[in-house]
Amino acid sequence: MKKYRQTESPDIYSSECEALLVSPDELSAYIDKELPVWKRHLIRRHLKKCEICADRVQRLQQTDSFLRHAGAVDVSDDFLSGVMARASEAALHQRQHDSLRSHVARFVETSLGWTRHLSTLMGSLRYNIRTRSPVYIFILTFAVFTMVGVTLYPPSGDKLLEESHGLELNAEKLISFEVIQPEPPKRLLTTYLQGE
Amino acid sequence: MFVSDEDLMMKCGKGDIGAFELLVRRYQNPLINYIHRSIDDYHRSEDLSQETFLRVFKSANRYEPTASFRSWLYTIATNLCRNEIRNRSRRNTCSLEGLVEEGEDVHHTEIMRDTRYLPDILLEKKEQRQMIRKALAQLPENQRVALTLVTYQDLRYEEVAEILGCSVGAVKALIHRARQKMKKLLIKAGIGEERVNEKI
Repeated sequence: MKKYRQTESPDIYSSECEALLVSPDELSAYIDKELPVWKRHLIRRHLKKCEICADRVQRLQQTDSFLRHAGAVDVSDDFLSGVMARASEAALHQRQHDSLRSHVARFVETSLGWTRHLSTLMGSLRYNIRTRSPVYIFILTFAVFTMVGVTLYPPSGDKLLEESHGLELNAEKLISFEVIQPEPPKRLLTTYLQGE
Repeated sequence: MFVSDEDLMMKCGKGDIGAFELLVRRYQNPLINYIHRSIDDYHRSEDLSQETFLRVFKSANRYEPTASFRSWLYTIATNLCRNEIRNRSRRNTCSLEGLVEEGEDVHHTEIMRDTRYLPDILLEKKEQRQMIRKALAQLPENQRVALTLVTYQDLRYEEVAEILGCSVGAVKALIHRARQKMKKLLIKAGIGEERVNEKI
């Protein structure tokens, strides 16, 4: 077997190894089977000839096997049930959250719908007023008169209110009558005539 | 019939809790071991595994199978581990597990039950495990994560690159450096050198 030049430090590659492996990382990738087939084949052939690289690979595999024997822990029996319980809880919470969100979304949608209708109505009204459509001017006039009428002559609900306070109102009227209608100053007039 | 992880996730997104249970069964062992190797605390690793699965479940309806499920799961777990390590270093606390294991192995009961193991062999294995764990803990975070994912979880370099958010070339370099460092640490701890020499 052809021997390659041994270097003092095993970390330094000979130029041929370097040319073949490109970088030392390739050896790790080789033992992890992460290289393309053609490169693996090349390295395999090289390892048969190069003792340094073969030793390096052996050491890396040794380290790897030690690591793999580091032992594993077992999952406790109640782990799965714990996860599933928490997941069910989260699902329930999510459902409640979704329901609340859908309610809010529906409310917003309805409000937006009303706003849209109102704005359409206002738009058409504005357009008809601008174009002086007789029907809308009549409706507008009617609406204005109705508002003024309601303000001046309140509806029957206010009359009931008046009836409930009828006595107080009558008393006020009597008092006003007394004040407005005083007795004529007869005595003063006679005194004046007598003096004259 | 084997159902892929991605299909199970899609079913889970539609509210199929059975699909989620199957995923948990499939990944509970590797995940808890991965987290345990990262944070070295069994009880916390159980908590973090539960948290990882819960996060998966909560975001199942947003899941799109653009990347592999495995790398997504380990990304969540890695982030949780990072947070845990950061919080620990802030609080300046350490796990009590090492102390417990000095007296009694509480989690490797399967070995204890196996009468084929003699006490001295058992002790040697336990010491070796502890040393390997300590050596792993001494690696820089990215190197440890990359090495653990490749060695124990059998993830591809592409998946590790996705998890760590770097290129495949960077993962190659990380793993090689991690192995080199582990080799030195194990030799320093008295593991491996004689055996390697024996083989040579």
